[in-house]
Amino acid sequence: MTRMPGICDITVPEPVATAARAGDGRALEAVYRATAGPIYTLLRRLVRRPAIAEELLQETFVDVLEHIGAFEGRCPLPAWIRSIAVNRALMYLRSPWHRRLEWLDADVIRAESLAADERPAGMGTDAGLERALMRLPALTRAVVWLHDVEGCTHAEIGFVLGRTPSFSKSRLARAHARLRALLADAAPLKEGTPCAPV
Amino acid sequence: MRTGLNDIGARLAALPGFEAPAGGWQAVLAARRRRACASSPRWPVLLAASVLATAVGLAWFLQAAHQRSATAQQPVPAPASIVEDAIRKENTRLETLLAALPEQRAMRGSTAFTVAQIEDRLALVDDRLSRIALEPNAPEHAERLWRERVELMNSLVQVRYADVTGSL
Repeated sequence: MTRMPGICDITVPEPVATAARAGDGRALEAVYRATAGPIYTLLRRLVRRPAIAEELLQETFVDVLEHIGAFEGRCPLPAWIRSIAVNRALMYLRSPWHRRLEWLDADVIRAESLAADERPAGMGTDAGLERALMRLPALTRAVVWLHDVEGCTHAEIGFVLGRTPSFSKSRLARAHARLRALLADAAPLKEGTPCAPV
Repeated sequence: MRTGLNDIGARLAALPGFEAPAGGWQAVLAARRRRACASSPRWPVLLAASVLATAVGLAWFLQAAHQRSATAQQPVPAPASIVEDAIRKENTRLETLLAALPEQRAMRGSTAFTVAQIEDRLALVDDRLSRIALEPNAPEHAERLWRERVELMNSLVQVRYADVTGSL
């Protein structure tokens, strides 16, 4: 894993965006190469399963290929692609298929510790925070990520999620409190506090 | 140690990103071809759905036939909003029926596969419907999508009903 810029930090040169809107294959590929990493990161934070995130990434860009002609340029192209990706992820999270898998994931997550020394391969150095984030409900996780990392406003988040800005505000406040609590629970393990005698 | 709100935001923003899967662009092009194939009629699924429909029961069949004939006898096309409203009501009715069916803990593999396929297509239609809300100029037609959704919901209800009653 590498440190990547946020989606809104990506600049797609205007000639490339114009050619992409006209359906030029090479320009579309260039757009993919510029945005795929951050979009994939976003999807990995919204859904728990890497394979699902990969599939959603593909579906997102298939949507982009099919609807790029309808993109009117009212917002930057990466932001438009992000809205498609978020929408895709939310559709998946609301689907019965996802609900069926959720109980499996819940068992795995319950069994996992937030301790840094049990960090699995592929997880960053702030593994406790990553695990705490994945313990939040999907919609709450989306609010946190879109606000804290993607820099979306509450109005934008409310629009994308089909909710009000106050919903986004209250979810974010509760999510931060929950994250603080989870991190506080994990802190003694992180600092090597000895276990209770058996 | 107390972790502040801003600190959590900053730590989240500092988390490393993920590399997109290798060969991703080729995978996107392949997925696009698959979607194009999927959007064409899938005869095995349609055939299975129609066979299952016969097992659902006389009441269901008569009700569906009555609705079809009522639609066919419509002398003048109704305004789009009325049509869409009726389709949405039918969709709600099917959602209610589906919710009323007991959840099966064990399901035949073939049934589960059919259900998963229908649900996947439902998710696709839902996605396109929500796209219309986000992008008013999207080249999609709400009424057509709602009709497709109702057809899929109808198939799903029939498959689930047949599974529940053990008539598969």
